[in-house]
Amino acid sequence: MEERRTAPFNTGMPDAVLKCVLPYLDGPRDRASISLVCRRWYELDSASRKHITIAFCYTTTADRLGRRFPAVESLKVKGKPRAAMYDLIPDDWGGYVRPWVQEVAANLDRLRWLHFRRMIVRDSDLEVLARSRGGVLRALKLDKCSGFSTDGLFHIGSMCRELRTLCLEESSIVELDGQWLHEIAMNNSILETLNFYRTDLVQVSFEDLERIARNCCNLTSVKISNCEILDLVGFFRAAAVLEEFCGGSFNNEQSDRYNAVTFPPKLCRLGLGSHRMPSVFPFASLLNKLDLLYALLDTEDHCLLIQRCPNLEILETRTVIGDRGLEVLAQSCKKLKRLRIERGSGNVSVSHRGLTVLAQGCLALEYLAVYVSDITNASLESIGTYSKNLCDFRLALLDREETITDFPLDNGVRALLRGCEKLRRLALYLRPGVLTDVGLGYIGRYSPNVRWMFLGYVGSSDTGLFEFSKGCPSLQKLEMMGCCFSERALAHAALQLPSLRYLWVQGYQTSSQSSDDLLAMARPCRNIELIPARRVITTDQVEEAVVLEHPAQILAYCSLAGPRTDFPETVISLDPVL
Amino acid sequence: MSRATVELDFFGMEKANSGKSQFQRFVDRRRSFRGAISKMNPELIKSVISSGSTNLSPVDWRKSFSVPSSPKEDRSSPVPSLPILNPALRVSSEDGPETAPMTIFYNGTVSVLNVTRDKAESIFKLAVEGSSRNFESTDSSKAANPSRHQQNLLETRNGDLPIARNKSLQRFLEKRKERLTCSSPYA
Repeated sequence: MEERRTAPFNTGMPDAVLKCVLPYLDGPRDRASISLVCRRWYELDSASRKHITIAFCYTTTADRLGRRFPAVESLKVKGKPRAAMYDLIPDDWGGYVRPWVQEVAANLDRLRWLHFRRMIVRDSDLEVLARSRGGVLRALKLDKCSGFSTDGLFHIGSMCRELRTLCLEESSIVELDGQWLHEIAMNNSILETLNFYRTDLVQVSFEDLERIARNCCNLTSVKISNCEILDLVGFFRAAAVLEEFCGGSFNNEQSDRYNAVTFPPKLCRLGLGSHRMPSVFPFASLLNKLDLLYALLDTEDHCLLIQRCPNLEILETRTVIGDRGLEVLAQSCKKLKRLRIERGSGNVSVSHRGLTVLAQGCLALEYLAVYVSDITNASLESIGTYSKNLCDFRLALLDREETITDFPLDNGVRALLRGCEKLRRLALYLRPGVLTDVGLGYIGRYSPNVRWMFLGYVGSSDTGLFEFSKGCPSLQKLEMMGCCFSERALAHAALQLPSLRYLWVQGYQTSSQSSDDLLAMARPCRNIELIPARRVITTDQVEEAVVLEHPAQILAYCSLAGPRTDFPETVISLDPVL
Repeated sequence: MSRATVELDFFGMEKANSGKSQFQRFVDRRRSFRGAISKMNPELIKSVISSGSTNLSPVDWRKSFSVPSSPKEDRSSPVPSLPILNPALRVSSEDGPETAPMTIFYNGTVSVLNVTRDKAESIFKLAVEGSSRNFESTDSSKAANPSRHQQNLLETRNGDLPIARNKSLQRFLEKRKERLTCSSPYA
């Protein structure tokens, strides 16, 4: 136990006391504040920090991480911009896990939980990881990643025997065989979470799944790709403590065979790719999470199912739920916290009518993401009035209808922002004319706590952006699409917004002199990258050539690592030194 | 959002189209653009210009050639669907007091439109700006399956982008559509 002698700029508190207190402080902002107090506290924080999230992998380097936080136990690194989920980023853009895996292998002895999101992973990286940390790794999440195959997973399956969590959701994986799952089935008896949902891995054997269910008595969450439900009867019987299941499909013509399927008794989080919902009715009242994104239900089916789920807290579905489904939701699901309505392909749509009723009925709502065909100021005001717990609000206006009922939406947006005081994340994807410069100014003025924003087709001139950038004191990450703003206005905004450290823009007024205007935002420790306008030719489902025109993109971010060195051809770095 | 780029096809870019199909497309669109369009015999136009006369009665015109009929025209006025060189025989417009006829001679075709001032200005602007860019998008839209436009593509129209869909959901919806079309081979 060390006792420090009192010095003029020293707290006088012994390290031992601090070390007792610090474990209770694990929020990243608290820890960041602690590390700024003085050198001693910085060192103590570095030695004891357990979890690090690197929000953007090029802001720092892996060896800086290792030098500052050698004792880190849990690491999350994110790569490609969010737009990669919508096919707007070239595949080879970057975000390689290699340097991070190498650091983990070489120096991060305590690492147990590893999560990579939207990054490029190679089989060799997985092999290095498995060989170096396979004995201790407890969780591996490769979330929306790409670049690897089932051979890489084989290494994980055979060498990572302490794995409790393996998550591959939505990754693009080259499938060579199903051996990787067989390895897990043969070697692992403590798996709790297995997830390869939304991948194309179909060569997995359901017998291996059954074996895993029998061996792993703590298996609580399994999310798989397409697999016939009838093949899983044995699996369901063996997975006695299963709480979450997603995936599978009901393809068999003889529907009475499905009566033999009994779901595990504790199942409360469910996602089925099915049009058969009656099989769910017996335990619908237990459900607190429902994923209907890949289900084949129509509006009526939605209503019938939802009214049987009074304990529902999380719902994901498509616009086929319709305004009527939202009414049923508002009446039946008073505990609803998270609702995501993705864009479907049919004619049914969700509008301000459904949203108003939803806001009035589901007062516990914290997250709302919805594609609407029509929206009014009044419905946004309702959300501001009733949804007092809303932290994350995302609205996208479809271009199905020629005009919308009520625009501009300036006043509605203002009312929503003023009413939802807890709002931290905001996305508005609209149309020209729907949110004027005045409305954009309101967003700046009335979003004191918002840290992330995605704005599409807002404002009508640079004035709007100037007004916007006078506010938003907490805004750290800004993404914009379809802007009418000039490069000069963008550079100005990047300099004005006090907390901004990441800016992504696609579609803006390029200036005639190549990018000099953008360089106005150049600062030390800030990288600016351009992806110039590209034309991509792909073939669609019917083998026809499809030409996609991608407008230019800007990505500007704060970084301690200097400019990137792993650019593909499509990306250009703006270096003011040149 | 302005749909003016679509109107440009109407200016005779696609020479292959007959006057009737051009006209039929025009009638099908729900726009505030109103007027009578027809293709006229270039010889006739020359004779009109050389005679310097704009006062031929409609009846004489009708004898010389046939004109595709315009349902809208019939509704709006008793004067039959003739291209109007005589301002006195102007079709009464439903648009309001601000519309005036605009006559466009292009490459052997004559078109007369009743337009508001705003529309006229945008037409002038488009004509001045030229159409190379629109040529591109017309060509590329021909290459792609038209039914997919609304759903999936990122197609630029003067820089406008429709909403891109989440990749995994898009794949699911496309596969489902495939399955539905495959399951009924006789449909």
